Amino acid sequence: MSTEAEIDKLVRREYAAGFTTSVESETLPPGLDESVIRHISSRKGEPEWLLEWRLAAYQKWLKMTPPQWAHIHHPPIDFNEVSYFSAPKSMADRPQSLDEVDPELLRTYEKLGIPLHEQAALAGVAVDAVFDSVSIGTTFRGKLKEAGVIFCSISEAVHEYPELIKEYLGSVVPQGDNFYAALNSAVFSDGSFVYIPKGVKCPMELSTYFRINEAKTGQFERTLIVADEGSQVSYLEGCTAPMRDENQLHAAVVELVARKDAKIKYSTVQNWYPGDEEGRGGIYNFVTKRGVAHENAHISWTQVETGSAITWKYPSVILRGDNSVGEFYSVALTRGRQQADTGTKMIHMGKNTKSTIISKGISAGRSENTYRGLVRISPRAEGARNFTQCDSLLIGDQCGAHTFPYIESRNPSATLEHEATTSKVSDDQLFLCRQRGIDTEKAVSMIVNGFCKEVFRELPMEFAVEAGKLLEVSLEGSVG
Amino acid sequence: MTPAEQLKQNSVTLASATQPQDGLTARRSEALDKLRLLPFPEKKQEAWKYTGLNALTAGQLERAAPALDADADIASSIPSLGDCVIVIGNGALTGQLPALPKGLSVTPLSAESINDAPPDTFFGWLNTASLSDGLLLKTEPNVKVPGIVHLVFFNQAQTPCHTTNRLQVELAEGSELTIIEHYLGSGPVLTNALTHVQAGANSRLVHYRLQSESADSLHIGNLQIDQQRDSRVDSSQLMRGNVLRRNDVHVRMLESGAELTMRGVFIARDTSHIDNHINVEHVAPHCHSDQVYKGIAGENGRAVFNGRIHIHQYAKGSDAGLSNNNMLLSNEAEIDSKPELEIYNDDVKCAHGTTIGQMDAGQLFYLRSRGIDEASAKRMLGTGFVNETLHAMQDEAVREWATEWLGEAL
Repeated sequence: MSTEAEIDKLVRREYAAGFTTSVESETLPPGLDESVIRHISSRKGEPEWLLEWRLAAYQKWLKMTPPQWAHIHHPPIDFNEVSYFSAPKSMADRPQSLDEVDPELLRTYEKLGIPLHEQAALAGVAVDAVFDSVSIGTTFRGKLKEAGVIFCSISEAVHEYPELIKEYLGSVVPQGDNFYAALNSAVFSDGSFVYIPKGVKCPMELSTYFRINEAKTGQFERTLIVADEGSQVSYLEGCTAPMRDENQLHAAVVELVARKDAKIKYSTVQNWYPGDEEGRGGIYNFVTKRGVAHENAHISWTQVETGSAITWKYPSVILRGDNSVGEFYSVALTRGRQQADTGTKMIHMGKNTKSTIISKGISAGRSENTYRGLVRISPRAEGARNFTQCDSLLIGDQCGAHTFPYIESRNPSATLEHEATTSKVSDDQLFLCRQRGIDTEKAVSMIVNGFCKEVFRELPMEFAVEAGKLLEVSLEGSVG
Repeated sequence: MTPAEQLKQNSVTLASATQPQDGLTARRSEALDKLRLLPFPEKKQEAWKYTGLNALTAGQLERAAPALDADADIASSIPSLGDCVIVIGNGALTGQLPALPKGLSVTPLSAESINDAPPDTFFGWLNTASLSDGLLLKTEPNVKVPGIVHLVFFNQAQTPCHTTNRLQVELAEGSELTIIEHYLGSGPVLTNALTHVQAGANSRLVHYRLQSESADSLHIGNLQIDQQRDSRVDSSQLMRGNVLRRNDVHVRMLESGAELTMRGVFIARDTSHIDNHINVEHVAPHCHSDQVYKGIAGENGRAVFNGRIHIHQYAKGSDAGLSNNNMLLSNEAEIDSKPELEIYNDDVKCAHGTTIGQMDAGQLFYLRSRGIDEASAKRMLGTGFVNETLHAMQDEAVREWATEWLGEAL
């Protein structure tokens, strides 16, 4: 076993992405009213209909109250203390290409291991980098355009592809869907837009990297991915934030539309700043993610959640078309005083729809980790099939691991299975590793990696490596 | 006033009108104060998410059931299952107590003996607030009470009304007891049943809860079991559907070494609605619990199962399992299952599993191909599905009766 001093050292290990970037920013003063929304909209030169859409969302939001049902605890959020827009000044007159972007910004992403220079970038991954409220650049746009793929920030898409935005924005997550989605709809700043035309297989992985930099700001990005008939795309999302003592809000909305025969794979590695050991600071990650799968379509969510003080997130699939498939693979790791309430919803509406849910929760320290999921079989969903497996691993006796699945069936030809187990890192496994000269830290990390293997297997290669490492770093200091 | 507020008002009226001179007045008024603070159960509350109380009428909360007719023939409807039969009609003991087996005493609940922390639910408090006759079963230490004690709660009325059934079972250290809690009757009665079991150190209880009221009655029940060191409880809950049936079962394993086995079968056919809410709390270390529940919903029936295992922070070495298998037989029926785990200790072994499926077409075909008609084949498969649970019941007489009785509903 490690000595106490060693553990102490490891516990104090810094959050590697916790630095701040000093760029001059234009940040709106904290507070939210219609004028803030008008300002955001005019700043981005949005058309009138979008402003109306935002204001309608704001009106709905005003009538709503924050959800109380999740297994999380935090002091009430004062939404008037949050600043709803922040952009680096150098972005005021939009740079035309990445070469014109402030090198300080580019260095930030390099430091995070996300090179934005195309020649240096990982071959085959196009990146859209979002810094506070704006997108600072998108790589490989030319190459993607050749294939007919649209990949740009949502602000650009509003100008360049208004018909597409008008058709799909809010079609999966309506403005008044829930408290945080309504807030996002009112003040969303930037995010990515992807359109894959009919029959096209996207030639490379698409990726968005979100970075919160400015203090006291919230990030409200909106991602919209439309895969037209018979197309395929794999999309990755990563996120980090500096270490600060106050809690920052991140309320995103992600909408996926998979038309007939299309396939969307959406992977997330979430590493927002989780707060310190005492639970000071950290990001409140309140996210609404949902996809609609039409006939024969396939939507797959894979997430590795290691960051955020609080995670509240339920990537869902509405299986609208016959024979559509939904998948959810998740690893959620909490430590320190982190709280996670995450899971998925699979709404089976079409015939012979299938869904698979694999969720692995790991709790350490004094954290709380909850799986919450819904599987609903509507009366029309003949022959629907669901398999759910939720496993929890506890490290230490101060943490909590919870499972709250909702299983609703209204069709007798449907078959549903749900199983959940909870266990700890077994002494036998540890002993075996120690006996072979592997130290405890390393052994635990190996065992945890093995526990998560089913999910990591689903991640694109580059991300799988990153996720494995992230887990290792996150776990350090949890064992003793 | 919303319908829920109106029903709450009716409940308060009912409780306020309950004023027998029996020494429990203070307890009733405490409970009434609690009741006034609680909201009436509605779908927007998580615990009532799948069960609306629209089927309840004002009368069922407002009027206490009248005393049962003296000449009502109850005896003929009671199956012969136990050696000592105690009949409670519309909440009150009927006739004289039978001769009691050695080591068991049966007395009315008094202000001293009543447990002061009933289940913290609206109907739990309503039960105490409207209580007039409660029974206390008590065993002597280190005595094995011979035979089976068959408690029959017979509730019958022509007009909508409310009956309060209250039972408290206290097992002294080292004692053993087998009881059947049997609910019978007919008519638009709302049975509000509350049973509280205290299993003393090293005691052993075999408990059956049979719910066979006719289809037009309603039942809202609370069962609370508190287990002391090394006690063993084996509880079977069997129910066939009626308009509305809601059971809240709450087990607290308060001292180490306690063991619990719970099994249940619920069959919701026609338009019946059955909701089982089970909460097993491992408060102390090294306790063991095992639950198996089987549900069937057909026609327009609806079956709800919510089973929670809660492991407290210091309950190391807990071993808890829960399995809920369901069969959905028709397009109009619905099954909602919500198995939950809430765990605050790492040194535990916990698992739950849920399935919702249908009768296996291959098995049906096999039986049909051997000349068995469809209805019989379905009954055989249904019986096979629930029998796994029934087989584990310890008393043969009860097992046989239950197999036949449940078979009628398949």
